[in-house]
Amino acid sequence: MTRSADDARLLSAADCDALVARIERLARGGGATECDIISWWTGELRWGRNRVTLGSDRRDVSVGVHRRLPGRFGEAIARTNQLDDVSLEATVRAAERSHAEALPNAELSFEPPQPPLPVPSPAIWSDSTFNLTTEARGEVARAVIAPAEAQGLLSAGYVEVLAMSFWHVANRERRYDRFTQTQCSMTVRDSQGMGSGWAGLSSYDWTKIDPSALAERALQKCVASRNPVALEPGRYTVILEPQAVADLLEVFVGSFGRDTPAELGGGPFALSRNEALQIWHSKLGLKVIDERLTLSHNPADPQLGILPEPGQQSVTWIENGVLTNLAYSRNYALEKMLEDFPVRSPHVSYRLSGGQTSVEEMIATTKRGLLVTRFWGIRDPLDGKSLLTTGLTRDGLWLVENGKITKPVKNFRFTESPLFVLNQVEQLGVPVPVFRPGQMWNITPAVVPPLKARDFSFTSMADAI
Amino acid sequence: MKERLTRRELLKSATAAAAGATALTLFPHPLLAHFGGAGLEPLPPIQDPKVKELALRAIEASRSAGASYADVRLTHLYVRRLGEVMHVGVRTLVNGYWGFAASPVWTPEEMVRLGREAVHQAKTNALGKERTVEFTPITPIADGHWTMPVKRDPFTMDPAEIKDLLDSLVWYIRRPELQRRFDELSVAQSGYDYVMMEKAFASSEGGYCTQRLYRSSGIFEVVGVRGGMNITAGLDFLSPAAMGWELYRDHDLQASLGELIDRMDAELRLPVVPVEVGRYDTVMDARNTAFLLDQTIGRATELDRALGYEANAGGTSYINDPLGMVGSFQVGGERLTVTANRSEPGGCATVKWDDEGVTPDEFSLVKAGVLTDFQTVRESAGWLKDYYIKRQLAVRSHGCSNAPTAREAQLSHTPNLVLSPGAEAQDFDALVRTLKDGIAVMSHGTQIDFDMDFQSLTGLGMSGSFYRVKNGRRVARIQGAAMLFRSPELWKGLLALGGPATARRYGMDSTKGEPVQGTFHSVTAPPAVFKQVTLIDPQRKA
Repeated sequence: MTRSADDARLLSAADCDALVARIERLARGGGATECDIISWWTGELRWGRNRVTLGSDRRDVSVGVHRRLPGRFGEAIARTNQLDDVSLEATVRAAERSHAEALPNAELSFEPPQPPLPVPSPAIWSDSTFNLTTEARGEVARAVIAPAEAQGLLSAGYVEVLAMSFWHVANRERRYDRFTQTQCSMTVRDSQGMGSGWAGLSSYDWTKIDPSALAERALQKCVASRNPVALEPGRYTVILEPQAVADLLEVFVGSFGRDTPAELGGGPFALSRNEALQIWHSKLGLKVIDERLTLSHNPADPQLGILPEPGQQSVTWIENGVLTNLAYSRNYALEKMLEDFPVRSPHVSYRLSGGQTSVEEMIATTKRGLLVTRFWGIRDPLDGKSLLTTGLTRDGLWLVENGKITKPVKNFRFTESPLFVLNQVEQLGVPVPVFRPGQMWNITPAVVPPLKARDFSFTSMADAI
Repeated sequence: MKERLTRRELLKSATAAAAGATALTLFPHPLLAHFGGAGLEPLPPIQDPKVKELALRAIEASRSAGASYADVRLTHLYVRRLGEVMHVGVRTLVNGYWGFAASPVWTPEEMVRLGREAVHQAKTNALGKERTVEFTPITPIADGHWTMPVKRDPFTMDPAEIKDLLDSLVWYIRRPELQRRFDELSVAQSGYDYVMMEKAFASSEGGYCTQRLYRSSGIFEVVGVRGGMNITAGLDFLSPAAMGWELYRDHDLQASLGELIDRMDAELRLPVVPVEVGRYDTVMDARNTAFLLDQTIGRATELDRALGYEANAGGTSYINDPLGMVGSFQVGGERLTVTANRSEPGGCATVKWDDEGVTPDEFSLVKAGVLTDFQTVRESAGWLKDYYIKRQLAVRSHGCSNAPTAREAQLSHTPNLVLSPGAEAQDFDALVRTLKDGIAVMSHGTQIDFDMDFQSLTGLGMSGSFYRVKNGRRVARIQGAAMLFRSPELWKGLLALGGPATARRYGMDSTKGEPVQGTFHSVTAPPAVFKQVTLIDPQRKA
């Protein structure tokens, strides 16, 4: 099957249904066959040193064949991106051959069906994104580069529009979902490398992105960040712009999805072990962060929409500072007979509540502190319980003294815990969407406020610009 | 919708292709593609003229649409026995602007569509300000083919043979005489992964070449617990390499495992002490030195990065005036000499021709501490033209063009790097013996990583095991230690290097680009001693 027509950028629901029918007919050896079919298209534009370096149009498909043979544990998955008969058959055989080598499972000849979990239908398709033409992307780049070039500065950046279709089976029901994702970011640097400013935003909807506003912000930050001075590492009051807050919170929100769960004694939400009952108590019901903060997710909210998975539902993780919900694996929930529980997922999208104080007001009310644009290089936490983390500031750091920005500062490495920061909050601003494009179908939007916090620990100077 | 091919038809055409298929006959069987005949045909080996016909169709379409230069890659990637993917990517140059189009479809019609789309992408951006591309000249390869030599192609093996060996490693660890020496001894991770890629490259300059490339990687890590302390150690030679099953079989596995367990036993006898923050002369083993070299100098000498083309992604380089600094900037001490290549057998970046059809050369990056060159592709080599002419060096790309598959546009990626060993035959223990008071960092065959900043300037090293060295001996393991460093000072403080017999090669990946893409390369380095490296407690707040 060839798809060479240009408007057939994605597989349709009918295309996928037909593909699945062909695949199912090819299975041998009994058991069950399931498929997942992804098709995607991207339009990309990258620039550096004030000139576009590459414009691209790319597309691909991925067909995953899941074969579950009787008498074996689990399933085996083989993948291909070719849609002809023989390729599909080769893929089905590869999955069967692989599953035949899996551990035998003679005891469980009958696996009771999993109780159905709700699957949301996020409305994260935007025609504006899907129809942002090559020409329009070219215009964006020209408009964004011009002001930086006019001032003798160097602009580098990236614009991408992505559309994806995802066919899969959830609750024994066939689903076809489509979504779009777009991102625009840029870094403006001084030609001598003495300053750097950044701005960026991601969304499912291109109309939510204002490239000129981003360009102006990156330019202004670059100019204001030139010739930074060295400050002593130490504890500072920090004013974190929304992007910096989101960057810092990565490891924190990960505790709700990826990491070792509280019920097994892992992560920051495990409290103590009850030896008699042989279980871990969690911090559910206890105040864990500032009472002005509520952390929630609603997959139906287009600002927070992610790839739908069974068990995704509207959930408030933390309400007014109190830990209200934790996510569980399906097996644990079945074991504990939990009803209506959020399912663990590595994809954590979230909204963090805020307040009304603008960043300008935070600056005006600061005696001495640091204004941070964003953090970078944050990886796994140094300590799973306290979430102590290390990383760097980047693309704009300023000293605030007596209510005014006084000078740009050389970048720092910090060693701090987001949990600690969220307990030291002085002021909060209005939450806004941030730059969190994820990769391919791992979209993870977030809506985050700026905040001011006390005693943020910067441990060494990183004089990279 | 095409009718399903009958078995007979398939077998008939498969036999015709079998003559050239060799190793592929044991693999499930080839995918089919539409080459312009009456219907689907069996996929021939990459050297088949039909593949070239397809490639040239894309070049022709690009030229007709207005490209001054065009290249196309067709790749077929085999991932163990669990996946096969095919891609085609066309890159074109119009008035100094690049355009790229890619898809999974190998048909003549798609070649034309991609050629035109790539030109459309380039032309749209060429409407902007002027941009010139100085393409360093090459002699286009005419119909070259290269198959990477491997001793044992894993795709021709019975998977049971691989499984048997991996299982035997686990059973070895379970032997009572080994288990007895610890409170607990178990396998943390074990696995073998392998891929093969067939790639065809064609350019509008008349170049055409095809290659078959392999990469294997493995992991075998063991955890030992005794007296409340634990240590994780792994077989050091399983990191990614351009090899087949010989990745395992070239070694005496039983002896290696025995050695590993003995070392773990000895390590657990050392007392554990807390961090004493300070500056110490530090010995690092080969794996640490290799990863350190890669993440400092390896990143900083990518010319496109140094000039700001990755500024919105991974960052820039502390070698921040590349055209001014090349030939004179002191990257490290006199003992530091680093060369690069894409030719060493087993090196992950090893190819016969890069993704621009260039035959890569072996070149010097750092000589006696001085920066002598950068990693380049055809366009970026042009930026160093004046320097090359002044130094009477060839004005040419070093062949660093690479991409994961044809679906991604080519970028300048790190080639294989080699840190020249010291002349004296000293090994890691001999280097430790030279320290009266210092630190030793050992990887024990496990993953090493450094947290670098966005100019590869300052870094934090937390992985591996840190030891206190007193009077030439490792006397204790340090709990919760890390090192903090600044690349120029670190490499200028290079005090000693292990001898030629101590150099080890490690395969690693590096990512760059927007969207991000990753390729593999290898770094060879001996153990090394660095002067006065700062040791800290990474968990201590300000």
